[in-house]
Amino acid sequence: MVAHLQQGSEAAFRTLVERYQDRIYRTVLSLLRSPEEAEDVAQEVFVEVYQTIGQFRGEAALSTWLYQVATSRALQHCRKARAKKRFAYFSSLLGFDNGVLHEVRDHAHPLALLEGQEQLQVLQAHIARLPSRQQVAFTLRHEQELTYEEIAAVLRTTLPTVESLLFRARQTLRKHLQPRPGHV
Amino acid sequence: MSNSPLLPDSDQDWSDLMRQLQAGPPARPRSGFYTRVQARLVADTAVAPSWWPMWFHRPAYALLLGALLITLSGDGSALRPAQKVGSCESCPDEQPQRELKR
Repeated sequence: MVAHLQQGSEAAFRTLVERYQDRIYRTVLSLLRSPEEAEDVAQEVFVEVYQTIGQFRGEAALSTWLYQVATSRALQHCRKARAKKRFAYFSSLLGFDNGVLHEVRDHAHPLALLEGQEQLQVLQAHIARLPSRQQVAFTLRHEQELTYEEIAAVLRTTLPTVESLLFRARQTLRKHLQPRPGHV
Repeated sequence: MSNSPLLPDSDQDWSDLMRQLQAGPPARPRSGFYTRVQARLVADTAVAPSWWPMWFHRPAYALLLGALLITLSGDGSALRPAQKVGSCESCPDEQPQRELKR
């Protein structure tokens, strides 16, 4: 398939998109949490893949390369969104904008007190606050169910590093989501 | 060692928890995804590449380059030293300044 893609075959590109679109969309969605933004970024991923397939040397699996492009695009999108949010916040502080853009207060209830969808949202909000590599590792492991070896390939790192990233991510989540005494 | 049954320890338990919380069919892009990717690809390639370098598209860099060109071109007046203090071309009676000699 790679050879056909590198020759510019439209049929091969169509096959690639149809084969991987759900996985790539879900990965991006789990990092961005917005279906519209996920669709946009997933499209960008396939456009980039089409435009740069000539650089693919086959050192990793094609799916690994797709995950690499998808996670880096999603994180880039997150960084831009955060920068925009910060700019809007400072603009509102300096009075350039009349809109109120204060951060929504985080009422972090422990998971045990919440119902299904709420539990998921609270957990997702905490996952989104993890450092980017921990976030990617956690998402790929527990939402996309990739193996440790696959995650190591996507993050271009070693197996012990992936273990450490996941350990720290879980520890942080447990710390934030642990029921506190007196929290009823 | 978790105090809560909802906060698992093991790797597999976390995957199970995520699966359990994400009840319902797995998320999918809207139908016609490939058509939209293709349209985007066509739109991307339709945009003629600019022969200006990317950095030139930023107004600050363009202004800086303009200022640099003005400074370096022409008669170089911007680089000429300032006139001597005390000399006045519009004052004909003024005596040329003499250097103080001991």
